[in-house]
Amino acid sequence: MKALIRTDNLCKYYGKNSEIKALDRLNLEVYEGETFGLLGPNGAGKTTTVRILNGIIKPTSGTALVNGFDILKEEIEVKKATGLLAESPGLYEKLSAYEFLEFMGALYDVPRDILPKRIEDLLKLFGLYGRRDYLLEGYSRGMKQKLLIAAALIHDPPILFFDEPTSTLDPRAALMVKDLMKGLADKAGKTIFICSHILPIVEEVCDRIGIINKGKLIAVGTIDEIIARARTETLEEAFITLTGGMKEKELLAWREQKSASA
Amino acid sequence: MPAPKWLIIAKNEYRLRTSRIKRLRPFFPFLIIGLLAAFLLLLMPAIINLLVDEIEAFFLSQVALAAVEIMLFMIFIFFLMFPITYTLQQAETGQFEILLAAPLRPKDLLLGKFMGEMPLYAIGVAVIAGIFTAILSPLGLDMIQMTIVILIFILIFFSALWIGTVIAAILRTRLGKTARGRDIGKALAMIIALPMIALMYAIMGGGLFEALAEPETSGTVKTLLGLFPSSWGAEIIVDFASNPGNIIAIWFETLIRFGGLIVFFVTVLWLGAKIANRAYSLEPTTFTAAKAKPDGTFYKTVKYIGGGGSFGALLVSIFKDYGRRFENISKIAYLVGLLILINIFIIGSDYGSDENGENPVTELVFASIMLAAIFPLLVAFVVGEVTIRGKENLFIYRKAPSGEGRLIKARLLQSWIVVLPVVAAISAYTAITIPHTTYILMLIYTGYMIILISANVAFALGLFLMMPVFSEKPGELMGNALVIMMVSMGVFIISIEIFGGIFGLLMVIAINWIIGIVFLSLGKRKLSSIE
Repeated sequence: MKALIRTDNLCKYYGKNSEIKALDRLNLEVYEGETFGLLGPNGAGKTTTVRILNGIIKPTSGTALVNGFDILKEEIEVKKATGLLAESPGLYEKLSAYEFLEFMGALYDVPRDILPKRIEDLLKLFGLYGRRDYLLEGYSRGMKQKLLIAAALIHDPPILFFDEPTSTLDPRAALMVKDLMKGLADKAGKTIFICSHILPIVEEVCDRIGIINKGKLIAVGTIDEIIARARTETLEEAFITLTGGMKEKELLAWREQKSASA
Repeated sequence: MPAPKWLIIAKNEYRLRTSRIKRLRPFFPFLIIGLLAAFLLLLMPAIINLLVDEIEAFFLSQVALAAVEIMLFMIFIFFLMFPITYTLQQAETGQFEILLAAPLRPKDLLLGKFMGEMPLYAIGVAVIAGIFTAILSPLGLDMIQMTIVILIFILIFFSALWIGTVIAAILRTRLGKTARGRDIGKALAMIIALPMIALMYAIMGGGLFEALAEPETSGTVKTLLGLFPSSWGAEIIVDFASNPGNIIAIWFETLIRFGGLIVFFVTVLWLGAKIANRAYSLEPTTFTAAKAKPDGTFYKTVKYIGGGGSFGALLVSIFKDYGRRFENISKIAYLVGLLILINIFIIGSDYGSDENGENPVTELVFASIMLAAIFPLLVAFVVGEVTIRGKENLFIYRKAPSGEGRLIKARLLQSWIVVLPVVAAISAYTAITIPHTTYILMLIYTGYMIILISANVAFALGLFLMMPVFSEKPGELMGNALVIMMVSMGVFIISIEIFGGIFGLLMVIAINWIIGIVFLSLGKRKLSSIE
């Protein structure tokens, strides 16, 4: 299988003496047509990975190939090959949905003769066509998320990055996004890289997952392989086992202290 | 062939700036050009025709160079500060991720942002350049001179705007990523205006203009001013006015100065493009999170003032949330600075100019009117915090038992603790600067202002609860601030006019306190019905 994303000892350190290791020697391969999920607790390095692979920030050392292009030497080509749904992107609230997609299409060099039809199709797909001329400041969170996904698809890239795609959505919108990701992988043959800590969605959508903690990739494989490796029953238990977590007794310890002092 | 990326960004920026007039957008440029043409070709010449002799005399006088130099310098700094202040007030970096993920270079982004805002800035440049050319045209300047004058304005102001845009982008990158950074940005947006105001006051009442106009004098200010490109342009304009239609007589000076302007413009453009990578970056700038220290003497005292118990703790919490925002501290620092400048350049310079100039009481009453205009701003900035963090913040108090009453009590006390020491210090300083003021008079005056502004705080709190401002945007807060200022000054002037003397001054306090108590009661009622 052809690897569309390949990282080679990718590192991102911060601080005077590089004491903060946001990403520490990441070696990872994501194959063509695959849906890959990168799991990890908050601050584990998921967003840093996505930003580096999209050419938004530079690694401290190491490199990566995205769609065959080097992220350090062929940044523009990398950006053309990827679509990104960022975790908390700022929208242009004073633009309408149509204007926003028109802007994004122009940024990604979508030919002018194709762009209007593509915008129309995407707006219809996401059920936003009726509100295409409304300013984004009046959109709900779910509608904004749909529009951002449409924006990530506007140049029809072979690789899509979704950073926490459902974390701010209601169940209905989350289901829609989940179905869309499945559709993009199954029917459109896209390679999808999802970052999330919402396990059920990752479980249902991803072919393989990687677990990252404190900048290090600690496990990679199919869900069954990860569960087997952690010797647990579920992915949730495997995740907790691999990344560390609190036991129920510890969680309620504060009540016992109160009783003792009372 | 795809459009250049900077053009796409510029088009988008223009759309954002004109989103409020979306329907008018296609006609907007024509509308503006039409209005500008009417202003510059019809209105300005008509006005100038009435003043031709005075204009000619002005340009031949020795104050001409200093006046034009100062005017251009002020406008240069204003154009430089405008993008910075605008950006610092809303230093968000959210949209950068979308843009930086796209296949474009940071310099496209910088140039695009600049060019997108340019049509709106160009209106200002056109108006200013148009006024100057209209003033100069009756003097007999030829076409080449007029063209150079227009180019001078374009080069000076667009250089200033470009520098401002680059600095703004860098500051946004440095400050926009963290809540603390954004807070510092808002604080800076207030403070950076102070030097400009100081310069303005120094010109108005500090004799700076007279000093600059004197050819014999030299000094740091004059030398510094000469380093700015605005001064090179001013020198060319005044030279043209002195030699209308005769550019040959001053060709060398014109060449050097105008050449300098072009070199300056090209250099700042090049430097800006060079540092664009630093101006747009999503690399974290800090990993140091602000940490609360254990309560020191100040907070312990505040808690004691609040009665120690749970109310004391509530008061301290409100104080901490207020005091740990740089934005709030900068607002106070800004107003204190403004009050000191007013004292130095206006109240101080005005002393002795009226027939009762030797009477310190008269001077103090005059000073009170000035202070009654500025202190309400301080009051509004401090008291406005009550609703500025949004309804959810108010609902925390509404949920708690007797929460609304405790909120009002705590906010009133907190505002007094913040505002009154400033009022006392400034009032005492004002009294001291007026000659013949005795120690007793200073104390009486300070006490008087404290009692007066205490009432203003109560009024302001009531007003902000009746007309809540649920936004941090300074514009919305200013509405209520203006109401407080108008009432404060209105009551002062009317009471003095009607009752006169000491009784009038006492009535000012009585009326302000009645207004304060009434508004506070009404505000409390409104607080329980805010939804």
